[in-house]
Amino acid sequence: MATKVRETPMLDELTKGPWPSFVREIKKSAEDGKEAANDLLGVLERSYHEKIGHWKHGGIVGVMGYGGGVIGRYNDLPEEFPHVAHFHTLRVNQPSGWFYTSDILRKICDIWDKHGSGITNFHGSTGDMVLLGCRTEALEPVFAELTELGFDLGGSGSDMRTPSCCCGKARCEWACYDTMNACYDITMHFQDELHRPAFPYKYKFKFAGCGNDCVASIARSDCAVIGTWKDDIQIDQAAVAEYAKGGGIDIQKHVVERCPAGCMSFDGSKLEINNDDCMKCMHCINALPKALAPGKERGATILIGAKAPIIGGALLSSVFVPFLEMEPPYEDLKELTEAIWDLWGEHGKNRERVGEFIQRIGLGNFLEQIGLEPTPEMVVHPRTNPYIFFELDEEE
Amino acid sequence: MAERKTDIGPPHYEQFLPPVIKKNYGKWKYHEIVRPGVLMHVAESGDKLFSVRAATPRLASTKTLRMFADIAEEYCGGHLRWTSRNNVEFLTDNESNVEPLVERLNKEGYPVGGTGPGITNIVHTQGWVHCHSAASDASGVVKSVMDEMFPYYNGEKKLPAKLRIAFACCLNMCGAVHCSDIAILGVHRKPPDVKHDIMKAQCEIPSTVAACPTGAIRPATVDGKQSVEVIEEQCMFCANCFSVCPAMPLNRPDTDGISIWVGGKVSQARSEPKFSKLAVPYIPNEPPRWPTVVNTVKKIVETYAANARPWERMGEWIDRIGWPRFFKLTGLPFTKYHIDDFTHAGETFQRSLHFKRA
Amino acid sequence: MSASVEDVANAMYEMVKEYHGKKNLKALDLTKAMIQKFGEDQVDKKLCKQAIRQLIDSGKCTYSYVGGSYIVLPPES
Ligand code: SF4
Ligand code: SF4
Repeated sequence: MATKVRETPMLDELTKGPWPSFVREIKKSAEDGKEAANDLLGVLERSYHEKIGHWKHGGIVGVMGYGGGVIGRYNDLPEEFPHVAHFHTLRVNQPSGWFYTSDILRKICDIWDKHGSGITNFHGSTGDMVLLGCRTEALEPVFAELTELGFDLGGSGSDMRTPSCCCGKARCEWACYDTMNACYDITMHFQDELHRPAFPYKYKFKFAGCGNDCVASIARSDCAVIGTWKDDIQIDQAAVAEYAKGGGIDIQKHVVERCPAGCMSFDGSKLEINNDDCMKCMHCINALPKALAPGKERGATILIGAKAPIIGGALLSSVFVPFLEMEPPYEDLKELTEAIWDLWGEHGKNRERVGEFIQRIGLGNFLEQIGLEPTPEMVVHPRTNPYIFFELDEEE
Repeated sequence: MAERKTDIGPPHYEQFLPPVIKKNYGKWKYHEIVRPGVLMHVAESGDKLFSVRAATPRLASTKTLRMFADIAEEYCGGHLRWTSRNNVEFLTDNESNVEPLVERLNKEGYPVGGTGPGITNIVHTQGWVHCHSAASDASGVVKSVMDEMFPYYNGEKKLPAKLRIAFACCLNMCGAVHCSDIAILGVHRKPPDVKHDIMKAQCEIPSTVAACPTGAIRPATVDGKQSVEVIEEQCMFCANCFSVCPAMPLNRPDTDGISIWVGGKVSQARSEPKFSKLAVPYIPNEPPRWPTVVNTVKKIVETYAANARPWERMGEWIDRIGWPRFFKLTGLPFTKYHIDDFTHAGETFQRSLHFKRA
Repeated sequence: MSASVEDVANAMYEMVKEYHGKKNLKALDLTKAMIQKFGEDQVDKKLCKQAIRQLIDSGKCTYSYVGGSYIVLPPES
């Protein structure tokens, strides 16, 4: 296939400089004979001149039986750029922790080279592997070959979105539970909710092994599962002394004085922590990784309700369960999730995320409905306004 | 034809883990950054795992993925992974492979870095490459910013702490950028241009009306066609209506552009997670290299680098010095647009004398 | 439960047809309507879920996405 790769003077400006270039990537696929990639270059060059995108709303495309996993996309200049007239995306559920082998990666490339544009995203914002750009009639064959290889589609629309997690115990000494296993288990358990949208709006899970939150769960997921511990931080005083001797870090200034709880003290050789006051923020552990480690009684805090601004403003997740042991088969988390989905599913408005729903009906009412006891960990402080909706029993 | 498989879920991760990880799963002791872009994790058993981290533009051609596969095979027994911020990591327990890996990746144009107190890869959305509601391109801005910030990626220059940049091309924020040290966000600035001709065929009028958070949309008959009208003063350009109705596009070349937000974080370390706050309400789109955005980001980063203390994230630094001084030091103008006027806006008013000298 | 999955799927299909071009229905709208129609002792959420699955798998209806996921008639019918 000797199609000439389009000339893209404006985009070519983005092939300069030290950072790897996405234009270069699209060109690689175009040079490889992918007409869709070549037309993508054309459309994009045009967008760069006109300062506007040329993509239309999705409409109805998908694979048989699923309501999620495919993002339909059409171009508004189909005559000029016929090979991207359809440019649908498949979201492919990534393996936990985004681990691959060369072998599996090549097989995915084989499928995508055969049916699609040759362009991918590693990875999409939610965590899926994204196969970017194919025609409607390619969707079923791609899906068939992916499932043959052992992969399935991820979520989109008003469903459980593809859960994602940090690499957890696979590589991180701070992981307070097995994030990769929990992510896999929850994904498998809720396959129906992932593929067949039945919620008022999307619902995201993210699993972070500790408060450093490498997957941004507290900002980006309706249900954030963040690793923490109950007992005391483990201290290796010999290693503390090593750090003190080494001089690489000023323990008093950069660790003790930066502790938000003010619960540490250091006499020049021994580090002490008043663990009752510790907020498990991870700072001291980050700063002295060889000397400090999370406690031994580990689990997670479950927080609910984060979202981006649309519709009622951005939210961070807030504490629902201060401490949950995270052992397979994660029955408690599953039960809690089902209770939340039931209530929100029944009373949530269209496009209302669970965080907004909770704000509308009140956290207190929400907890009561799903059968969770209110605890002081759930609030920064008790209410300051006296407008209490008392509910009196008959006899009172 | 083979039976159609559905609901099989993702492949189990275990089959992709390198042997050194399988052996030491959950038994890691500590880690160190042995050089920029290279992590060494040490297990209780004494085993070592080296992760060599390299930048990717997120958008990857299969040719590049195949090349990564070749490299992984050559040096890592075929094992590699991606990070949550679009970096690729090559995993090996053989220390002598680190040097050649670094050299090879740099040579191929996927530079090694992104560890420690500096700037790692930008998480971002699709922009003009694939999105229907983008107010700006995503990849082009990211590329331009990272070219400029490159010394903070490859370890040549250091910052007081990590600095996370995120980009989203409209308020939908598919990348949920709202808790980043620096968030770059595409914005629309004019109400939807209602396409009365296709309204009835493509949209449900009641749900289009209901979609507007400010109640700016009402049903109307225009030129005899059932459609809607927008009360322009009430529109905050959120594009929620466009999400439910293709006949309400907000994209406009002359007025779309970019806003910059600062001081957010997601980690619990030291201070609580925070939202990013508005620094610059609007910068026009300047393809192909968005010089004003790049220079503004650079200015903010350099001011932070010169003034923050070790371990202090952007938001923690600003909390310490106060917003008046942030605006003074960066030279960015403070305008009426910086003052919130949405729900609960009052919570952000200064209700005390506890503000510091600029 | 005594209503069959078929019965419920058929009733759902009628409802989608009836609302076609007027209002997009979500899975939940159908579920609520069926519980109303057949009675709580006849159908529950689980059965509705099965019915929706049958409706979609049979190709009589399909999912669509416009700012939210809906169950609609397949395109050109
Ligand atoms: S984890 Fe945070 S709060 Fe706890 S002792 Fe360490 S620095 Fe202080
Ligand atoms: S852009 Fe937002 S505020 Fe403006 S009319 Fe549409 S929904 Fe309403």
